[in-house]
Amino acid sequence: MNCCEFREKYSDFADGLLPSRQRSEAGAHLGTCAACRRFDAALRAGLDALRALPSVGVSRGFGPRLRQRLRGEFAVRVPLMARWSGASATLLLVATMGFLGWDLLESRAAHRGRAAWPAPAWSPSPAPLAALGAEPGYASPPRYSADPRFDAFHPLNSILVTEEANPAVGGGRFRFDLPAVWGGP
Amino acid sequence: MTLAVRDGLRGLRHAPRTPFADLEDAQVVQAFLEGLDRAFDELVSRYQVRLVNFIYRTVGDRERAEDLVQEVFIRIYRHLHRFDQTKKFSTWAYTIASNLAKNELRNRSRNPLVLFQTIKRHWDADHRPLQFEDSRSRPDDLFRKRHLKELVEQSVSQLPEHHRVVFVLRELEGKTYEEIAEITGCNLGTVKSRLNRARNSFATIIAPHLD
Repeated sequence: MNCCEFREKYSDFADGLLPSRQRSEAGAHLGTCAACRRFDAALRAGLDALRALPSVGVSRGFGPRLRQRLRGEFAVRVPLMARWSGASATLLLVATMGFLGWDLLESRAAHRGRAAWPAPAWSPSPAPLAALGAEPGYASPPRYSADPRFDAFHPLNSILVTEEANPAVGGGRFRFDLPAVWGGP
Repeated sequence: MTLAVRDGLRGLRHAPRTPFADLEDAQVVQAFLEGLDRAFDELVSRYQVRLVNFIYRTVGDRERAEDLVQEVFIRIYRHLHRFDQTKKFSTWAYTIASNLAKNELRNRSRNPLVLFQTIKRHWDADHRPLQFEDSRSRPDDLFRKRHLKELVEQSVSQLPEHHRVVFVLRELEGKTYEEIAEITGCNLGTVKSRLNRARNSFATIIAPHLD
């Protein structure tokens, strides 16, 4: 081990973190190199002197000053918390009242004005579906509305999926056809 | 006075002055979070001197160090509810202190000015009244000791900022490499390399004066 390598690994050597082989190499170098021995002695003496420096205490005013600042911090925090908690409570109350009122109005309207709403168009038999233009073979759930604009499950809104052979890719592929009302076939 | 009351008073008289003295940092933090404000005083008394020393050795100005430690405690007070209690409180406190010290050094390098405190400190050193340090020591030994003390302080202050923080944390605060990595936000390799460079620089600066 030369001086450069020793200085590079010196920190680990001083902390006893080097593997045993490198540690013995570093120890051997230290035994033979006067410059590195001086370096090691200087660092150790310097660190001893550094650790022997008197501790810097806090001044007498430190505690009262900190306490005063903490009181200020607390005084700022409490009104803020109070203000925010007051605002949150008001908001929550208004939201709850609004929801309850809306729910009440809704249930009253449902009871009173049921006859005013149009009865849902119920089409259990396939005949009305055929009249709407549905093609046979589509699986579709029961109809609740005759108007395809308001019914996602209306047969006119179905996408036709067909599988066809595609020799270009050596297999099959799926074709998606849009419903007629959206410009499909 | 009934016997029970007298026993109670005796218990109070013999009660420990600080009920948190035997508790771990984590328990004191927990006590503060549960609403015991006095627990914060315990944290302050445990860490004020250590943090002032750490910041003083890093920024080299005692009064500024005190101001920064005040700021550290204010931040701890403000954000303690967000502190991850699976980690060490001391590491968190040192992280805040280290960041504030780094900011201070950065601001100083941007706005270089000679602080009045620095002038005052040097003036104090030069015009210090006669002190009888140790009558048993020889005058030349006393002079050497004082000279060495100043030299060591100067050598630390001459280290580059990011080397100095790592050096002080390791050599004076006795932190482990892992703790230093967490405090400085560097990886372990960087910490080791900075410490090695800092030790090399420190030894190089101080060696000619020790012969």
